[in-house]
Amino acid sequence: MTQTVMKIDELHLSFPVSRSLLDVVQRKPGKSVNALNGVSLELQQGETLGVVGESGCGKSTLARCIVRLYEPTSGQIHFDEENIFGAAARKDRSYNRRVQMMFQDPYSSLNPRMTTGDILAEALRVHQMRPEAEIAPRVAELLDLVRLPQDAAKKLPHEFSGGQRQRIAIARALAVEPEVLIADELVSALDVSVQAQVVNLLLELQERLHLTILFVAHDLRLVRHVSNRVAVIYLGRIVEIGDSETLFSSPSHPYSQALLSAAPSLDPDDKGAAIQLEGELPSPLNVPPGCPFHVRCRHVTAQCRTAIPELRALEGRGEVACHHAEEINQHA
Amino acid sequence: MTDHPILEVDNLCTTFSRGGTDLPAVRDVSFALGKGQVQGLVGESGSGKSVTLRSILGLARHYGEVRGSVRWQGQELTTMSERQLRKIRGREIAMIFQEPMTSLNPLLTVGTQLTETLKAHTDLGRRARRDRAIEMLDHVGIPAAASRLGEYPHQFSGGMRQRVMIAIALAASPKLLLADEPTTALDVTIQAQILDLILKLADEMSMGVVLVTHDLGVVAQTCDTVSVMYAGRVVEQGAVRQVLQTPRHPYTEGLMRSVPQDVPPRTQLYSVPGTPPSLFSLPEGCAFAPRCQAAGSACQTARPALQDIAPGRQTACFHPLPATQDNAA
Repeated sequence: MTQTVMKIDELHLSFPVSRSLLDVVQRKPGKSVNALNGVSLELQQGETLGVVGESGCGKSTLARCIVRLYEPTSGQIHFDEENIFGAAARKDRSYNRRVQMMFQDPYSSLNPRMTTGDILAEALRVHQMRPEAEIAPRVAELLDLVRLPQDAAKKLPHEFSGGQRQRIAIARALAVEPEVLIADELVSALDVSVQAQVVNLLLELQERLHLTILFVAHDLRLVRHVSNRVAVIYLGRIVEIGDSETLFSSPSHPYSQALLSAAPSLDPDDKGAAIQLEGELPSPLNVPPGCPFHVRCRHVTAQCRTAIPELRALEGRGEVACHHAEEINQHA
Repeated sequence: MTDHPILEVDNLCTTFSRGGTDLPAVRDVSFALGKGQVQGLVGESGSGKSVTLRSILGLARHYGEVRGSVRWQGQELTTMSERQLRKIRGREIAMIFQEPMTSLNPLLTVGTQLTETLKAHTDLGRRARRDRAIEMLDHVGIPAAASRLGEYPHQFSGGMRQRVMIAIALAASPKLLLADEPTTALDVTIQAQILDLILKLADEMSMGVVLVTHDLGVVAQTCDTVSVMYAGRVVEQGAVRQVLQTPRHPYTEGLMRSVPQDVPPRTQLYSVPGTPPSLFSLPEGCAFAPRCQAAGSACQTARPALQDIAPGRQTACFHPLPATQDNAA
């Protein structure tokens, strides 16, 4: 049952920052933003992998690398045993069909001049999913799948609410019968009551169509709800990955612990348990040496300042990148 | 809590006109706030939370019609002239906005923007203003405050900018803080820091706070009382513990249940069917009726008024949910 569909290996990505005139005059070297610093993970067939982290930690960059919107500086992504950045895969459009992305902003990710019907039909035509005659019935079928009324096909995106637009985005992704869906903050822009509707739809469709989903979000409760496994990212590096329930009920990495306890509880009596994090996420322009979290960590030692901890399996838990995971969790 | 309230909002209505139609952005909002109390306004986008805040401070009157009464320490704010209001804004009532990126002037240093407030509202001298500015930045937790006075907003991160906003708002020691989604644009770890800071300062300066948010978790953790808004009206209000733990209005209950907490993972979440109504076409009866499972025929035609159902607890519903046995009230 656990068949690996995608294997991400040591993914690095840095964006060069344009040098100012002053930098050129002073002969300062060009700087770069290190968005991903060696991310490795595997996606299993049919699972939902949640990716959480603060803004700027590289969640969205990872998602965009997977759909080949960005090319990594180094590292590889294998899909079905094939390197997606390799020469053979480049010419091959089938990867673009099999892995689909859905974006955060429902207002800018749909062409405002195309009707819903056109948007869906375009996806079908580009990938030659259906002969011309069968396109209209397939569009109707897709609208039905995401529970939009049939007259939606003739309407323009501005006539829909945020929740309905995200349904259109889901329908567009599903039109080409993908195997993997990348949901980058799919429901973050929606109101709570509408959020639940879209999440329910996604869970139901996953069950029905056996989809593998990478669910990127910053809403921890939501990620816990939809994911089988969860990866916590900090400064372009996975600090903890493991089974969703285990990770949320007893996080092992000090960063995961702080992040999870920062989410405000719905129970007014449940106060004061939060672990306060000092300071903010360091700029990815200069990632601290050693463990990237050491500047904010309560358990920091000399070792943390120099050596980068590797992800390693912890008994009874997932994989953690922390030198002192054992000691920290003994006290907990 | 039995203190005389410092802010009393009574039947506040704000109407905007768009192309000849009147949009009822806020309708009949009433609440009172005591010294050092934190009142939450919660609702989905477009429910009128922010407009309520802006109406209190007389900001909404420039583009809409405001009726009803807002009494601040016995003074009526809605009829006050712009000139008188200006003396109260910033000095007695301060406001912080959602976007720390757009509400600071990018061309002025943080120090200038801080001392500007002090110059307008206090009679401190130049040196004293500078000292006070440093003290305020220190107070909100900005490290090396003295050296950062000369920096521009773009040199600060989002969380730091929100701290600067808070420092500016609190510089003149106001007695009331209106906070419009102060942490929505921030990460959870920073959100926790900022909320803690606001609560701590409210406590120290015995300042009242009206906190607008859409996050029920934030309400649960910070507010004493809460008003739940839907389509411009308060549908339920009362003490936070009671409202969140035993909601009586179906909408509040729906909101609470759509947050995935304490539900089996990967199961279908409870969701409120449909979407919030547009202000252009509000239903005739209860605005929530089209999405409500308990709606009867009365809900389609008449609008339920906000009524007392328990001491300090109101709801606007013809078919309120039963109070459960563990309702301590």
